[in-house]
Amino acid sequence: MTTLTRQDLNFGQVVADILCEFLEVAIHLILYVREVYPSGIFQKRKKYNVPVQMSCHPELNQYIQDTLHCVKPLIEKNDAEKVVVVIMDKEHHPVERFVFEMSQPPLLSISSDTLLSHVEQLLRAFILKISVCDAVLNNNPPGCSFSVLVHTRDAATRNMEKVQVIKDFPWIVADEQEAHMQEPRLIPLKTMTSDIVKMQLYVEERAQKT
Amino acid sequence: MDELYLDNIDEYVNDQDKIVTYKWLSLTLGVHVNTAKQMLFHYLDHKRKESSAQLHATYLVSGRCVDNGQASHKVSVIKEDKLEDFKSKMSLIVSVHVYSVQKALLKDSGPLYSVDYDAVKDNMKNCSKYSAIRCAGAVPVSSVEQTREIQRAPSPEPESKRSAMNGSAHQASKPSTKPQKGIMGMFASKTSSKNQDDGKEVKSEQKEEAPVDDAPKSKPAVKANPMMNFFGSQAAKKPEKTVKQEEAPPSSSSVEQKRPQPEEEEKQAAVVKPKPKDTQKESRSKTKRVEESDSEDDKMDKKKRRRIKKPVSDSSDEDVIPDSPQQMETREPSPSPKKEIKAVSHSRQRDAEMKTRKRRRVLKSRTFLDEEGCMVTEKVYESESYSETEDDFQAAKPAPKHPVPAKRPASKPDEKKSQKKNSANANKGSKQASIMGFFQKK
Repeated sequence: MTTLTRQDLNFGQVVADILCEFLEVAIHLILYVREVYPSGIFQKRKKYNVPVQMSCHPELNQYIQDTLHCVKPLIEKNDAEKVVVVIMDKEHHPVERFVFEMSQPPLLSISSDTLLSHVEQLLRAFILKISVCDAVLNNNPPGCSFSVLVHTRDAATRNMEKVQVIKDFPWIVADEQEAHMQEPRLIPLKTMTSDIVKMQLYVEERAQKT
Repeated sequence: MDELYLDNIDEYVNDQDKIVTYKWLSLTLGVHVNTAKQMLFHYLDHKRKESSAQLHATYLVSGRCVDNGQASHKVSVIKEDKLEDFKSKMSLIVSVHVYSVQKALLKDSGPLYSVDYDAVKDNMKNCSKYSAIRCAGAVPVSSVEQTREIQRAPSPEPESKRSAMNGSAHQASKPSTKPQKGIMGMFASKTSSKNQDDGKEVKSEQKEEAPVDDAPKSKPAVKANPMMNFFGSQAAKKPEKTVKQEEAPPSSSSVEQKRPQPEEEEKQAAVVKPKPKDTQKESRSKTKRVEESDSEDDKMDKKKRRRIKKPVSDSSDEDVIPDSPQQMETREPSPSPKKEIKAVSHSRQRDAEMKTRKRRRVLKSRTFLDEEGCMVTEKVYESESYSETEDDFQAAKPAPKHPVPAKRPASKPDEKKSQKKNSANANKGSKQASIMGFFQKK
């Protein structure tokens, strides 16, 4: 049993890596399950020893990776409170929001033997839950697009604006129209508690999607 | 039987939004699989009559069908709406039963595998307790016997293929046989049956047991055939495995000691598919190195599988092996980044081993002034030196269709895919680099 603090940046980076990998797979899966993009661009791959659908489109992949690359420093410092995948209709009104709320305990104590396989198991359960979420969600209207929002604690975004992590990939403060949804219905999907992170996934859905 | 199970299933399906497969149900409730199948059927029936919330079901259909003039036995998981259609295509239906019940309409078969994964992992020792497949001869080997066999391994027998045991003999994982294929066969079948593989190439290692009895020897020879024919099946649940053969003293029969779990073996016996094996069992004249495997990875591959584990033997790489129809090699995919995936080809493998800088052909634009004083830009293939690790991530040919980001550990499946694609490209790339290098040196 080793006790590590947040100052132990190596471990923080490991946790951030794990979470960003998971978020990447989750975003691809959400795009597949909610039919944001045609299923032809998706291809079965393996993650956490189970099959998942990942997209093959290079620009989409690059976009998602750049997004998560910028989010990673926030997760490392535990500044990211929520990562939200918003699905918007043609008029850019959000119809669905997949919210990943995460928090890391300030004092991470790990016993490395079973930790990672335990975390893998929990993440696998998340993946499975996303795959079947369309049982509880209404269908989206056609022509949807998506975007990723990050809710941070305090004023961490000030740093982000000053230092562009990736060139030509600026982050802007989300406007009210994108962040706010009319009459949301809350559907919890999954929670997990582990030594390194606590994460909760729920979906906010607009009552009328047209 | 009391009707409590209906409420149980109802709770799983409707309240918890789970996908209830018959295997998961049998492990959770502790009943025989046939009972679980019947439970699901009754539940479905019950709910359909009540016409309450919409449920979807998938079915497992197994039977004979004639495909392009070839009779084969197919086992498939079918969605309900395609069931009748599929049944009509079969010439003889051996079994049809409910595979799973869920509320959501599944777009693909991936979650069906995920559902059973954890349940089986937790019950590894007795996952076949409730199974309907039995074989009297298949008994798990006790650890004493396993250690004995490992010690006997180094003594080679002339008529059987063998190699030294993996030093870190992990007896906990049960080795199992793999279908035998030549390396070209793997490429051929991979491109043709990619979708059947579920995009997953699970490779495991080959471990050979020294004392090979004749009885198990003949059994693998027979089973190798049906095993390979799994590529023809659309069974979505079990991951497909590709096995490639490693060099060894030539042997005409497979010598892998098989320690199947009872269910697996019998399933193989039940499913006999006489598919033509010529493309898949081609022997290779060049050898490949088997990756050093920790059996920890094999342990993590918990689904019932046959594996033949074989440790790396260094001297084998250079040997040219005469024709042997049963040569095979297995490789293990590594979910963790610390394992490298050895390339397929001989030459590429050597490079991978040595991790040196090598030259490759790259399309570059060169701008120069020609004799009339005009600027000319032309694209030429120039050889460029690069180091091994870069090559893992970059295609040798220009403008690949699926660019792989160079530094993302997240895209490990990406990396695997690109490596497989690149191995074919890199083959040509490295060969041509050597030829073009002669011309380009100025």
